[in-house]
Amino acid sequence: MGPAISARGVVKSFGQLRVLDELTLNIPRGVTYCLLGPNGSGKTTLIRAIVGLLKLDAGDLKVLGTPVSRVQEIYSKIGYMTQHKALYPDLTLQENLEFFAGLYGIGKQEREQRIVELLKMVNLQDLRRRLAGALSGGMYQRLSLACTLIHEPELLLLDEPTVGVDPRLRQTFWEYFERLASDGKTVLITTHLMDEAEKCRIVGYMKAGKMTAVGSPDDIKRQAGLKPHLELWLKDLEGDCARLRSEGYEIEILDGVASLRLESHEQIKSVLEIVSPLDMRLKEPMLEEAFLQLSEAA
Amino acid sequence: MIQVSLSRIGVVALRVVRQLKRDRRTIGLIAFAPIVLMVLFGYALSGEMSGVALGLVDEGGHPALRSHLEGIEDFGILRLGSESDAELLISQGRLNGAVVLQPEEVRVLLDASSLQISQAILAAAQSGAQEEAASLQKPGVVITRYLFGYDLEMMDTVGPAILGLVVFFFTFINAAISFIRERSQGTLEKFMVSPLSRVEIVLGYVLGFSLFTLLQSTTTLLVVTFGFKVPMRGNPLTALAVVLLLGAGALVLGSFLSNFARSEFQVVQFIPLIITPQIVLCGVWWPMQSIPEFIRPISYMLPLTYAGDALREVMLKGSSLTEILFPDLLALTVFFLVFFAAATLMLKRQMY
Repeated sequence: MGPAISARGVVKSFGQLRVLDELTLNIPRGVTYCLLGPNGSGKTTLIRAIVGLLKLDAGDLKVLGTPVSRVQEIYSKIGYMTQHKALYPDLTLQENLEFFAGLYGIGKQEREQRIVELLKMVNLQDLRRRLAGALSGGMYQRLSLACTLIHEPELLLLDEPTVGVDPRLRQTFWEYFERLASDGKTVLITTHLMDEAEKCRIVGYMKAGKMTAVGSPDDIKRQAGLKPHLELWLKDLEGDCARLRSEGYEIEILDGVASLRLESHEQIKSVLEIVSPLDMRLKEPMLEEAFLQLSEAA
Repeated sequence: MIQVSLSRIGVVALRVVRQLKRDRRTIGLIAFAPIVLMVLFGYALSGEMSGVALGLVDEGGHPALRSHLEGIEDFGILRLGSESDAELLISQGRLNGAVVLQPEEVRVLLDASSLQISQAILAAAQSGAQEEAASLQKPGVVITRYLFGYDLEMMDTVGPAILGLVVFFFTFINAAISFIRERSQGTLEKFMVSPLSRVEIVLGYVLGFSLFTLLQSTTTLLVVTFGFKVPMRGNPLTALAVVLLLGAGALVLGSFLSNFARSEFQVVQFIPLIITPQIVLCGVWWPMQSIPEFIRPISYMLPLTYAGDALREVMLKGSSLTEILFPDLLALTVFFLVFFAAATLMLKRQMY
């Protein structure tokens, strides 16, 4: 089994604007993959290209091993959730789910089972007979996700699926996505939220139609050259800092707290041999900083 | 490669039905608007025809007789160009009779089905001719011809066409708005990434809307036949078949034209462009003969022209399905097929 998605030299222009610029991408099967990037970087265009809604100007794109020109043959294996939500407000939750299940030819018994399971996952099980139009924004989003999952797609393409969803339920979503990935399904998600990207196994950073950084969240931080910091509350701030500096440590003092840059976590031990702080705290670098760094470099 | 699965068409149809079913206002409009329209058109237009409607074809020679006829207060005189026009209007029930003035003779055409009016017309023509003969010192020759008209009121000729108009109007508007919504709420894009094909989408809509077309045409037919006593000489199922075909045409036209509107508001603006010409040019309220010849080709391109004709044939003359096959059903089928193709093609083009 090849990768879920492989793209090589993919180009797509709208008029003068090159939205996908020689983009190369490889998404293995069975992972949660987060596509991050500023507005207008081409994330939605890339997803629309993957599902065959756009004609590519150049490049090679394969989806679940099938060339994108024949992607319609495997539409039953793809779940696609647009930013539009794509639901019928004048149908009940149950009817919306039944409709999308029907498009994929799911039998009645299996359908009922899936509906119960999915409504539970998105925590809407008590509103089955309610009209979708009466739902709040976040609930609408959750129903849209349930409709996208109804046919158990092998490849899930979710364009900003957690907008308007409260943090606790977002956690449930991520656990569900992680479970899908463990079952061998591939989940591709775009988001603006760094803490969400942090939960994905692989993060791809997109800028101006190119992938500028790809890897696990930790890999990305390393690529950006970001290091963890150790914050120290010291009795003798001046003296202790002077001693640490003489050992070659970089220290900044902010509001009476010494912040020390670590090359690796092993260094903590040697720091503690030099000074004995009143208190200390380890600050891991944020993915956000990594991307800021990377996008400035790109 | 076109894939068509009956079950997927059924899924789309069921959804359309569920949505419309929940829209009580639309259901109300579907059921009651025909009645309002009929009362409006029917009574308003039948008032125009009060008194005796007499056609007059003047080919010269009888000025005295002409002014005698024109002087009769109960008579509404419609000047016509030829005898065949007069025959047609009588047979449609739009004239009670006609007088053809020729230098050699005077022919009186009468509608055999309304005896009282016929006698009044004949009496007027004969007394006029006698007066004229007396003053000219020459015997007047009056030939009487009876035609078989319908003995119809205005409502009878208009009713069948209103049935067609109502179905066309509502299906067109509802279909166009539904397709605009599919596009704006993103469901159309989702369909494009599902096993559902474009043909299935449109056919699903046709199937779903057909149920409402049936409901609408059944209530309209009941009102027309029982409320307004329009005859139903043919098979009501044949009339429903005509209406369904017309409704399917209206649906694909609405689907096609929804591509040129960005909002529901703009769809409403299509009404003067799409609906009004059909009313004016379909040959029901203004007979085809009265439509200038250079506009007539447009009349013959409009589905309501054929649907109206077919419905009148079935309801008033009792024609069977095979008798209205050509040109009416054929024209309606061609109209449907052309816009079905256009609608499905546009669904694709939108995406690239």
